[in-house]
Amino acid sequence: MSYFWTLLIYGVLVGALYGLVAIAFALIYKVSRVINFAQGEMMMLVAYIAYSIALVTDGNLYIQIATIIAASVVIGAIIERVIVRPMLGRSTFSIVMLTIALAVFVRAFVGLFWDTDSHRYPIAVGGEMVSIFGVTFLVSQLVLLAIFFATCIGLWAFLKYTIAGIAMRATASDPAVTMLMGISVKRLYSIAWVISAVISGMAGVLYANIYHVGPSIGSIGTRAFPAAILGGLDSVLGAGIGGIIIGVVENLAGGYIGSGYKEIAGFVVVLIVLMFRPYGLFGERQIERV
Amino acid sequence: MLKSGPSSGELGGSAPVAAARAGLEVANAQIFYDSHVEAVRDISFAVPPGQIVCLLGSNGAGKSTTLKAISGILFPEKGMLVSGSITYDGRRIDRVEADEVVRGGVVLVPEGRRLFINLTVEENLLVGGISRSAADRRAQLERVYDQFPELPEHRHRISGYLSGGQQQMVAIGRALMSNPTLLMLDEPSLGLAPKIVDSIFEAIVQLRSNDMSVLLVEQNAHLALSVADFGYVMERGRIVFDGSANDLMESPEIQEFYLGMNASKQRKSLRHVKHYKRRKRWLS
Repeated sequence: MSYFWTLLIYGVLVGALYGLVAIAFALIYKVSRVINFAQGEMMMLVAYIAYSIALVTDGNLYIQIATIIAASVVIGAIIERVIVRPMLGRSTFSIVMLTIALAVFVRAFVGLFWDTDSHRYPIAVGGEMVSIFGVTFLVSQLVLLAIFFATCIGLWAFLKYTIAGIAMRATASDPAVTMLMGISVKRLYSIAWVISAVISGMAGVLYANIYHVGPSIGSIGTRAFPAAILGGLDSVLGAGIGGIIIGVVENLAGGYIGSGYKEIAGFVVVLIVLMFRPYGLFGERQIERV
Repeated sequence: MLKSGPSSGELGGSAPVAAARAGLEVANAQIFYDSHVEAVRDISFAVPPGQIVCLLGSNGAGKSTTLKAISGILFPEKGMLVSGSITYDGRRIDRVEADEVVRGGVVLVPEGRRLFINLTVEENLLVGGISRSAADRRAQLERVYDQFPELPEHRHRISGYLSGGQQQMVAIGRALMSNPTLLMLDEPSLGLAPKIVDSIFEAIVQLRSNDMSVLLVEQNAHLALSVADFGYVMERGRIVFDGSANDLMESPEIQEFYLGMNASKQRKSLRHVKHYKRRKRWLS
């Protein structure tokens, strides 16, 4: 397998991780027009909780999965109910500032409650190596890719074909009128935050499983945000594709230009794309009657 | 007839006859924006079951604010009902969430249609029926398509690209999806061609024959009174006239100030109409 293809495939694997977090960004933005800058920290918190549970349960997979989902649901619901909902009606800027404060708080909390060191994730499965077309992967990397595609297709179908999904898209368009249809907008916001927390929580644990558990997980949010912008903040599927593009571009830049360029390559692509498509690659254009 | 406060109109007229259900009753409602801007002052009116009642008045009279208060969506605009009450079929609805008002059978078609413009026609309609079961929603969707035969051919089109008249049909159809017993329409004729307006108003009249009440807010007084059973006229947040549609049509005051006609029922010139504010007797 050529160097290029190896970089490309590993870029896709990293991009799948960015894509999951970007989808979480996009879902919240799509429904409530809020950018949750604590997304990375939420995934870090779930990863640490799952790590602690894994230590005491000897890495039992089923307990792991249940823990990840339960912790994510609780974290998403609490943040929406306690922090975001009281701010409804205030300016979006205020809510975004609040999510930044939340990010700082979660980072500090994790440092105090656990520690600031990196740890190997003690899970019992996914550590085996497999070789496909001459490229060697961890099984857990393939699991990540499978979860990414399943999330993309599942969310797309949910938003397109279910009445709750259509209601979420309607809320994004006009929340006041959505209320006039008998829809509880608060409940929809809550559902969006919970789904988003579960997706980013899964991403956090998958990252921890492949690499390590540590405070650096929080920075994945910062890397995934340009992916959401690139795909279109209001396009869930677009955000996922944006993640793959950023992952591939980062890997190619790191491999061919130098590892120092890896960090900025994604942002350069975002800048170029936004100059021509300000709403992102797959973002919805606003329809205006003239 | 409910008294419309101290400034109750001079026409009186026959009161709407209430059936077994109580319908909508707004009693001494006072609405403020931002806690200090009074938009509606001590208004009272009723919409009995199965009748079309219109709220007339110029811009800023408080008509849309009244509809928003009934629908429970004053809060996002920092509005508040500070006194009085709003009841529907005997149950207070002024302290419940908007979604509960809809489930209670009261639905508003907002001014300017306000469709979910990135959703298709059918998706807009389905969202309107979200409070119903999936089977009921499908059945009601077919009924709406029967009511507006033009819509099925556009069901998969993005609603933002429809004409104004088609959008208004979707907006009314979307409201009908929840099977309301009281439909409130805010300026349904706004920005539409006269021919389209006629077909929209035909549909509104048809709704009454389905035993639905309609509260119609409209600046086009002639059009509104031509389909309504009863009317209320608002000015600067107060109800200044009320009466049956026929009485209001015949009233020299209404003819002069809202229908633009003189005593001999001739259209007045723009020059005469322009001075109407100065000559309004009930506000002096």
